[in-house]
Amino acid sequence: MVFMQLFVNSLIIGSIYALVAAGFSLIYTTNKFLHIAHGVSIALGGYLLFLFFNLLGLPFAGACIIAIVLTSLIGLAMYQFVYLPLQKKKASTIILLIASLAILILVQNLIQLFFGANVKSIDYLKVREGISVFGAIITPLQIIIVLIALTLFVLLYLFMKKTTLGKNMRAVSDNKELASIIGIDYKKVAGASFLLGSMLAAVAGILIGMEQNIEPVMGTQLIIKGFTASIIGGIGSVAGVIPGAYILGFAENFGIWYLPSGYKDAIAFGLLFLFLLFRPQGLFGLKKGVKQ
Amino acid sequence: MIENYFIHLLIMIGIYIILTLSLNLALGYTGLINLAHIALFGIGAYTSTLLTNANVPFLLAFIIAGLFTSLFGYFLVFTTNKLKGDYLAMATLGFSFVVFSLMLNLTEITRGPLGIPGIKKPEFFGFIIESNYAYLIFVAIICILSILIITKIIKSPFGRLLQATRDDELGLRILGKNTFSLKCKALMISAFFAGIAGSLFAHYITFIDPTSFALNELILVLTLVIVGGIASIKGSIIAPFIIIFLTESLRFLPLPSSFVGPLREIIYALALLLILYFKPRGIFGKVDIA
Repeated sequence: MVFMQLFVNSLIIGSIYALVAAGFSLIYTTNKFLHIAHGVSIALGGYLLFLFFNLLGLPFAGACIIAIVLTSLIGLAMYQFVYLPLQKKKASTIILLIASLAILILVQNLIQLFFGANVKSIDYLKVREGISVFGAIITPLQIIIVLIALTLFVLLYLFMKKTTLGKNMRAVSDNKELASIIGIDYKKVAGASFLLGSMLAAVAGILIGMEQNIEPVMGTQLIIKGFTASIIGGIGSVAGVIPGAYILGFAENFGIWYLPSGYKDAIAFGLLFLFLLFRPQGLFGLKKGVKQ
Repeated sequence: MIENYFIHLLIMIGIYIILTLSLNLALGYTGLINLAHIALFGIGAYTSTLLTNANVPFLLAFIIAGLFTSLFGYFLVFTTNKLKGDYLAMATLGFSFVVFSLMLNLTEITRGPLGIPGIKKPEFFGFIIESNYAYLIFVAIICILSILIITKIIKSPFGRLLQATRDDELGLRILGKNTFSLKCKALMISAFFAGIAGSLFAHYITFIDPTSFALNELILVLTLVIVGGIASIKGSIIAPFIIIFLTESLRFLPLPSSFVGPLREIIYALALLLILYFKPRGIFGKVDIA
């Protein structure tokens, strides 16, 4: 009973973490710097849906699409107007990381300025009685979360393997110089990675906003988890971070079988630190770059 | 009234100068990208608070806060010694998250999100620093001592070795210097000052909770270091004055108070982005961030 419930809970939260981590790592592999401001794209997804659906009264599907498109464009704008100018000035990856922390705080506070600091809820699917599956309770929305996440991972996989843009992305992440020699426009590929990564973040934000609530700091909390999942899976591998995210989800939920539930975060970050110490390249990543 | 507010600002600036200068010692002078500095500040604050609450005399608690925090500095270098660049930044950022979540979750010790209220004012041999004016003098003395000590360290042969570690670690190792031990010492000193700054902060505000040591506070300290200048003592002293007066002047604008907090954070973040773009070494900076 308890086991099944924890299993289901792990699967749900793991799916959200995996969406966050996939986008984060997609941007990292293509651009080779840590886009911590990815967190605020998650919050933007949730808040833009709240704006268009709850405040402006648009139909739900339309509001979702607008929220996702706008979040992707804002992600692209972060690249165009902050990272790219810095990269042109030969800024190191540490400078870009610090800049991304600044963007995170900047946009998070803008959200707080416009929408207030309090918790808001998107009441689209009314709370329904869950279905019992092998003794575990799961609501329809939670099933949708897992299904959407899995569908997106399959699509992402196909995109990376089959399309030219996806192949170019992998080429750039392997070797940027070599990729530009054979005529791949690096900036275009990098921009596309921001669009796509932010789109995944927006979906994660919408799903977590419907399942729980939205608040301005949600992005920071989730990017920390996405970041942890990426380290566990190996940040250099988009396919690796997805199992990493599920491992994190399971570790958190099964950890609180023994520990008080407040320790969820401590378990996650303990895991993060252990990985950074003993296996910084993660479970599925390459060792390249760890010590450079 | 306005006088009290001014004194409050000066006390905060004094604390931030110690914090900024100590981060600059690690980040600017030794080239260690330490994003755990705010966690070290928090460890100092909690240590000092918990000790004085257990009736340890203030002065002892103050020094132990520094020493205990400096152990974490050693721990950080010891554990992340093999990591460089992004991974070092990630590990130290991860350390910040771990410490933050421990502050939130070790409720038996830290009272978690409720925070610890009613922290005692400093007491020396029966004399209690009650007024803000007296506290300002106390902070000023500690601040000036810290500036003098850190300047002395940087100007010493040891300080030059630290800067050499930053510029060319391999070269220094070829010359037979133990760069691991240099980095350990640098971060331990840096952490010591972060710890005593935390103690000064806790006993001044008399209330601490985990939010004082969260990510947005890290942005403030990073902004102060980078705006002032990488590897510049002068910059780390001047930047807190500029940034804190600038953002505090927002209070006098006719804005609702719920706006002031976010607006202040926005200004820190914008200042950081602008300085990174236009003058990544900061106003008085001498070197680039690796």
